[in-house]
Amino acid sequence: MLLIAGTVPIEEMPLTCGEVEADGEELVVDGRHIRCNQGTGAMVSAALATTRYLGLEPPQVLLAGDIGQGRGSREIYEYLIANIAGLAPQVLSLHYWLPDMNLTRRLCAAIEKCSVRPVLIADAASMYSAKAAGLASFFDIFTPDTAEAAFLSDPVATHPAYVRFMTYNDTERMPEVIQAAYANGNAARLMLVKGAVDYIVRDGKIIETVTEPDVPVMEAIGGTGDTITGLVSAFVSAGLEPHEAAIIAARANRMAGKLAGVTPASGVARVIERFPEVFKRFLCEWSGVCATGGVE
Amino acid sequence: MALLKRIKKAAFEGGGLVLFDAVQEAMKAEKVLKKADYPVRLVAPPPELRRGCDLAVEINLVEQPGVERLLKRDKVDFVEVRPVRADAPGILEIVRVTDYGEWVMVKAANMKLTYEKKTGIIVNTSGGGCPDIPHMHAALLGRRVEEAPRPAELGYTLCALMLDRALEESVSLRKGGE
Repeated sequence: MLLIAGTVPIEEMPLTCGEVEADGEELVVDGRHIRCNQGTGAMVSAALATTRYLGLEPPQVLLAGDIGQGRGSREIYEYLIANIAGLAPQVLSLHYWLPDMNLTRRLCAAIEKCSVRPVLIADAASMYSAKAAGLASFFDIFTPDTAEAAFLSDPVATHPAYVRFMTYNDTERMPEVIQAAYANGNAARLMLVKGAVDYIVRDGKIIETVTEPDVPVMEAIGGTGDTITGLVSAFVSAGLEPHEAAIIAARANRMAGKLAGVTPASGVARVIERFPEVFKRFLCEWSGVCATGGVE
Repeated sequence: MALLKRIKKAAFEGGGLVLFDAVQEAMKAEKVLKKADYPVRLVAPPPELRRGCDLAVEINLVEQPGVERLLKRDKVDFVEVRPVRADAPGILEIVRVTDYGEWVMVKAANMKLTYEKKTGIIVNTSGGGCPDIPHMHAALLGRRVEEAPRPAELGYTLCALMLDRALEESVSLRKGGE
């Protein structure tokens, strides 16, 4: 089971746990509708599009409303700390929330006690809190963008706003930045660094780069990094190795943006709606998994 | 008789310090912030950060903008908010501008804001990871950069502060004829 945890920008939404389904461009969990905009909504939508195509059970989600004050975030942390052993997900993907070092430590301690440790994926502020708490190496997969990679490479910073230097898609320096993140112990075992060049890095070694198709305007579109994390999460839950999942996710996201003909003014939903077509045309070629019985 | 096991309460660890010139102001800040549900604790600042008061308030650094706004609103006199680590750098000031033809994207740290050149209308925001960012994405889209709500006033986190820097730069670029 894939469990995705994160906040949504609906202030009054209580802690909600359940199976997610699609309703047009919205998501529905326990009767509550969530837009698939930037953030956890986009990530869950991408994961759901993938599991649907592969004919797998939909992701389970743990969501709470939070517009920055932290209450919903703390509810998610506390629920996971108390229940992660019983939930026993195969893959746990953590996303938007208010980073809290102490709660992250408690969550990792709870995960360590699970009889079967889930594959642990973090993006967005759950990745910030993992790094700030000194627990990056406890995680299996991080999916930072280039600015976040600079943050990971900084031994002192607790947020990307406080870093010694910023790389801003500086492809020449990115391998050096990635190395620094691993040298400082601030990287997950596998990282997919999202940018003009997508780097797939395992244990400090760049094992693959993805540059095609090149759709530079995707950087401007809110949620196109979140979709990559959703894709990676779904492919790992489908049984692919983390590096295979990361490579396919990077390719699929770019291809969906190309097929959608996005501009900087496009919404992420235009990218997500192209995933079934991308999978149908390219997944067999990219993954070697050709008889999925997937649906569009 | 069963041995009683003392459960050690986990210490709060926020990574940010509010510095004061007067002890009374630090105590007032703690009270104001706790009332608003911010996790805080009174601490002694490290010697290199002392500003004349031996008491500081530790906060979750990510919540810096919300904390500063609340202290100003409640007229608590503080000197500054900064990372606990004395060797930490100051807040990032560098922005990067990308020209997409009809649109311009302005980046500040992990946050990006894109507007249409002709109208100044914000067409996208991206990046970040704190919970106020998707909320601001919805609040900013479709607004002209000059009239959009300021993320520093609307948001609570450092991601919001960086988005505010991007918006500020966008306004500046528009004034310069971009």
